[in-house]
Amino acid sequence: MELYKFLPQTNCKKCGKPTCMAFALDLLKRKVKIKECTPLVEEDKYKEKLEKLKELVGDEEGEEKELRINVNEDDCDGCGICVTVCPVNARYCYSTLSGKAPEYPPDSHQLFVVKKGKCELLALEHCRRIAAEGRERECRVCETYCPREAIKIEYV
Amino acid sequence: MEKITCTGCSLLCDDIIVKKDGSNIEEIIGACLKGVERFEMISSKHRVLKPYIRDGDSLEEIDWDTALNKVVELINKSNNPLLYGFSNTTCEAQLKAIELAREINGFIDSNSTICQGKALNVAKETGFTTSTLTEVINKSDVMILWGFNAVESIPRLLNKILFSRGKFRMTGREIKTIIILDPIKTDSFNVMGPRDIALLIEPDKDIELIETLKEICCTENALPSNEVAGLDKDDFKRLQTNLTNSEYISIFVGQGLLKNQEGKNPLKSLFELIDIINERNKKGRASIILAGGHFNMMGFEHVALSNTGQNQSLSFNNHQLIESQETIISKIENKDFDLSIILGTDPISHLPMRLSKKLASKPIILIDNSRSGTYLIADLILPTSISGLETDGTAIRLDNVPIKLKKVIDAPQNLLSDEDLLNKIIEKLREKREGI
Repeated sequence: MELYKFLPQTNCKKCGKPTCMAFALDLLKRKVKIKECTPLVEEDKYKEKLEKLKELVGDEEGEEKELRINVNEDDCDGCGICVTVCPVNARYCYSTLSGKAPEYPPDSHQLFVVKKGKCELLALEHCRRIAAEGRERECRVCETYCPREAIKIEYV
Repeated sequence: MEKITCTGCSLLCDDIIVKKDGSNIEEIIGACLKGVERFEMISSKHRVLKPYIRDGDSLEEIDWDTALNKVVELINKSNNPLLYGFSNTTCEAQLKAIELAREINGFIDSNSTICQGKALNVAKETGFTTSTLTEVINKSDVMILWGFNAVESIPRLLNKILFSRGKFRMTGREIKTIIILDPIKTDSFNVMGPRDIALLIEPDKDIELIETLKEICCTENALPSNEVAGLDKDDFKRLQTNLTNSEYISIFVGQGLLKNQEGKNPLKSLFELIDIINERNKKGRASIILAGGHFNMMGFEHVALSNTGQNQSLSFNNHQLIESQETIISKIENKDFDLSIILGTDPISHLPMRLSKKLASKPIILIDNSRSGTYLIADLILPTSISGLETDGTAIRLDNVPIKLKKVIDAPQNLLSDEDLLNKIIEKLREKREGI
């Protein structure tokens, strides 16, 4: 509903959807992109709405940009919460289920490892933000639960 | 590649992997910064490797025979020695330390007397419900951190208890609630999720808070109309729901709750609150875990209790344990000692100025492996190997579970372990006594 407010609300059907409401719902599910609504992008009177909408949907256009997970080594204290909480680690490294450190050498799916008291990123290609579908793609658990706020998810 | 137990803090993580290259540790995987610091002590520039004796303002290097003879001389001169520390060593060394205290008719106490040992002293009267970490991982759905900054003092604790997925808590973080009660907004507050409760309480008001919680756990409509300890009615409503409807509550007590408030001990009230919850809550139970700092703080309590029948502040006379109301603090306060033997701790920096001045006024024998505040004024310094890294042994985790420690590398310059050094001192003392 929040997204609908910032659409033209003319039901022009240029995007291929029957109503603007349907477009808003698909936008929420990430099935369509903002630029598919041509009047919103082209016409000047919708400029404000477009900016607000971009703010709300956020990294929608970032899908074409590259995902980066930055770990600030100065802040990190190696507690390993990211290792345990990461859903990909939980699926492939069973020992993290009981809060233990994963086996070594690491599984090819493992995202994080704690070495010498600092968290290190191993491989990004299995991160849910790249490999998963639907709502799982919005995963932000490592960033949310890092007590030192050392992890930042960015699109560059 | 080896799996070893980390001795950085009282959690004693047993999943640390180290890669060795001869006598060097090349890589440490899984340990937090606190653990890594312990590993770095091996090759630290602050490491002490030779025995030293104080000569005026400077320290003079001496050989081991002279050092041991000096220890025997100092001990034989003293009538009222004081032994303190023993939280950063193995249970085996603690046993030897008690034997030494018995041999020299001294007074022995560990760091736990001024830390979580206080809680155990209260528990002697009231008893208390405790639990183990495995139980907490598998069953706990509500965790309370009371006056305890887990993220900074025991970094991997939240990882184990809150973010793990236990046998009956499959979905992990989503079905676990954490409640933090602290007067300071610490880093632990950053792990909050939508269901969690973070409450800033007024300092020194814990006892009022516990009394109110007792009431609201007994009667549903007893919610206070005024603010208590800085918390309003809504906060109490949420606490009430969590305390009375949970399946397994585990309360982690930190340093913040150990101090007496208004002449009363908040821990006593807390234990009573737990009893009330356990009695009235038909669904589940509540338990307490004491979160200590040093890796073998609980060890001294167990070793002393099982060998002498008293858990701390042991006073010996005629090689027998005697009844005494003294603690380490009252002993130092009244200057009721003429020699102190300190093992693996740094009281000069940790105790208040008033007490450390009094402690410094008498000769100090320091048994430790790195430079500290006490090192700067000690009269005799005996280095030892690092327990848990350069020696085997047993240590007791914060939930009273004994954990085996594994030797990783050899000690440099054939340094003795704490246990062997204490044993050598005892033998020397006996030789000397029999010789006379």
